[in-house]
Amino acid sequence: MMLAFEKGQEVRFIGHLDLMRTIQRALRRSHLPIKYSNGFNPHIRLSFAAPLSVGVAGKREMMEVPVEEGTTPQEFMDKLNAVLPACLRMVSARPISDDFPTLMSLMAGSVYSIHLPRNEKTDLAVSRFDDFMALKEYVAIRRTKSGENPCDIRPFIQDGHVETREDSHVIHLTTIATPKEGGLKPTLWLRCLFEFAGAEAVEATIFREWMLARNQQGDLIHMEDYQHA
Amino acid sequence: MPVVIDHLLSKVEKPARYTGNEMNSTTKNFDEAEVSFAFCFPDTYEVAMSHLGMKILYGILNDLPYAICERVCMPWVDMRTEMLKTGTPLFSLESHHALHEFDIIGFTLQYEMSYTNILDMLHMGGVKVKSADRAEGDPIVVAGGPCAFNPEPLHQFIDAFMIGDGEEVIVELTDVIRQGRKENLPRREILRRLAKLEGVYVPCLYQDAYNPDGTLKSLTPIDDAAPAVVHKRIFTDMDKAYCPTKPPVPYMQVIFDRIMLEIMRGCTRGCRFCQAGMLYRPVRERSVDKLVQLAKESVENTGYEEISLSSLSSSDYSHIAELTERLTDELGDKRVSLSLPSLRVDKFVQDTLSQTQRVKKSSLTFAPEAGTQRLRDVINKGVTEADLVNTLHHAFMNGWSGVKLYFMTGLPTETDEDLLGIAELAKAAAGAYYSVPKGQRVKGLRITCSASVFIPKPFTPFQWCAQDRPEEVKRKQFMVKDAFAPLKSAHFIYHDSAVSRMEACFAVGDRRMSDVLYRAWELGCLLDGWMEYFRYDLWLQAFQDCGLDVDFYAHRERSLDEVLPWDHIDAYISKSFLKREYEKSLRAETTRDCREGCNGCGLQVLKGVCKGCE
Ligand code: SF4
Repeated sequence: MMLAFEKGQEVRFIGHLDLMRTIQRALRRSHLPIKYSNGFNPHIRLSFAAPLSVGVAGKREMMEVPVEEGTTPQEFMDKLNAVLPACLRMVSARPISDDFPTLMSLMAGSVYSIHLPRNEKTDLAVSRFDDFMALKEYVAIRRTKSGENPCDIRPFIQDGHVETREDSHVIHLTTIATPKEGGLKPTLWLRCLFEFAGAEAVEATIFREWMLARNQQGDLIHMEDYQHA
Repeated sequence: MPVVIDHLLSKVEKPARYTGNEMNSTTKNFDEAEVSFAFCFPDTYEVAMSHLGMKILYGILNDLPYAICERVCMPWVDMRTEMLKTGTPLFSLESHHALHEFDIIGFTLQYEMSYTNILDMLHMGGVKVKSADRAEGDPIVVAGGPCAFNPEPLHQFIDAFMIGDGEEVIVELTDVIRQGRKENLPRREILRRLAKLEGVYVPCLYQDAYNPDGTLKSLTPIDDAAPAVVHKRIFTDMDKAYCPTKPPVPYMQVIFDRIMLEIMRGCTRGCRFCQAGMLYRPVRERSVDKLVQLAKESVENTGYEEISLSSLSSSDYSHIAELTERLTDELGDKRVSLSLPSLRVDKFVQDTLSQTQRVKKSSLTFAPEAGTQRLRDVINKGVTEADLVNTLHHAFMNGWSGVKLYFMTGLPTETDEDLLGIAELAKAAAGAYYSVPKGQRVKGLRITCSASVFIPKPFTPFQWCAQDRPEEVKRKQFMVKDAFAPLKSAHFIYHDSAVSRMEACFAVGDRRMSDVLYRAWELGCLLDGWMEYFRYDLWLQAFQDCGLDVDFYAHRERSLDEVLPWDHIDAYISKSFLKREYEKSLRAETTRDCREGCNGCGLQVLKGVCKGCE
């Protein structure tokens, strides 16, 4: 079963492994016909398209759960939602065949919305948005386990635009991910924008709105709409 | 008004410690409740959420239609710094209300070294640290748990203590405060009403006096609402006792991340150093049927993949074989594993061993506590070397290769020979391993012997005893360490004597220790249970600033007729029984297990409460 779920703001600081354990426990409570792995310590093998960075909430996170026969998508969502805390919600479900590609291999990008309160710093940053997007290259320092690596973030950006409201700016940003190189953290991108604009960084509320895949034509589409040939 | 913490969370390690919203946490409306209770655990979230007592009382209070109970934990250093920087008050996990907005603030007292955290949590929560400074409408600060049996070192900070089993008295107390608030009673009057509840001690209604030599002369009521002696509460029918089958399930991994099924309360062994064994008398068991039902409910409500049986001495449970068998049957197909903690050396059913293994291989720990039979007789630990070797042999046959053995140093009457006996016992354990044929045993024998420092505890036969002085502790520890040097697969680890010293001071301390506590907190002592934050130098300074002497509290042998700071608390363990036990211990004479016959501990005066003495 392929599912899209919401990871609410309240739990945006829950790490990926903790989230996984929580969903596994909910599945155990749900009495749904779940397929367990074989072996001495049978468990539920969940697979996710791509973990969400800690601190970011998700509107439609993608996950796959191995199920036995005998349940419908609607029942699956209902039963699972009944045993999940309110801040975790299944929002769509679709049965998929055994030969459906792994969600991880489908992962091609994300759509984020980045909400910033309006003030001098964010006004300044946003005023340089178009210039920033027009750059051909922007080298950022990525902190990874193996140390600090310089990395050009521009290839990870598809497009974006700013919507300015009375008391906030909302940046809509589409990023590109590849199975090999992974994706770009929206927090890193935002830090670069502030840095480029010469403004002091401001804490943002960030949502991943969609996860993306590429269809047979190579176009970016919502992952949950992906059709296997 | 809820406190906003969002801007702090990205700056701290493990933000999930502060965000709540776990499955099964209460979603009651804070503003609609008639009375609000902040259940405070004076340690981090991971420790708090591993604690059974908190889950019980949280469930009971939230089941009351008119009350709300929310959890508050000690923030870790990084969060605390951010909170201080931004002026953010300490808040509850559920609705993020500041501590001072609650009607009742309740602390659980599990270990002495959490006391500075209590002061700090009150302060961070916008509540006056000392009871005497609290104004009419301020929250009432209460506390319970094992350390409440000697409440005096906290008497300046806690308005009322609950002594003994909390499940009934916490409801009565909450009701009195709700009623008092409704009637707009003065604070003092509410406290007086609390003092009339059985099992509640209100320290401001008592006065202490001292002898010229510094020992306590008396501690007596100064208000007619206060009883001269406060009796502990006992909840007798365990099948009727509340069991938290729907506790909050943490997102992040906590220390005990599983269902803890309390199969019984109390212990019949009568180990003479063990405070829990005395305080939680009598033994009360849940029935097998009830336990199976509770286990199923818990699995259903939490989705946990592991259950552990919890009690002071689970293998003493009268139907342990039947219970493990039925739980294994019922839970196996639900893919839930079973683990049995606190196994004892002596009565370790072979069946049980193979049962546990079938489901899950938990780590193997035993607590012989002392190195020689003589000293084990002194402390009334009914375990022989043969028992240990037999059990270990069986365990090693069944695929275990590591074992942890717990000891204590500084026990009354201890000699160097007793201490060297620890290494001898480690050798015997290794012998048990090598007695299993090579093909049958698992490679990589590991024997870990760990020794804590003896701490005299109230309501034990050793309550009059002195703790070893630090130099003596060190000498003994090094001596044992040396004795372990030639042993290949065994090693010896030991506790810091400085922490144990402070623990002793608080365990048996009187009212004056509350000044030391306050001063130490002022000087910056905090999170003393975490070795990296324990500041011995500041503690010693606090003693000095208060004109008090560590030796007087920790290293002084008390005479049997000295007035003890907890004499006005009645745990139904009579002083004559404790004296008798102490005198027997000096002769290395053992006392039988209560199941073989009543030993007259004092509880027998309550007719029908203890099954053992009927
Ligand atoms: S009353 Fe008797 S049987 Fe009961 S705990 Fe005390 S000594 Fe043991």
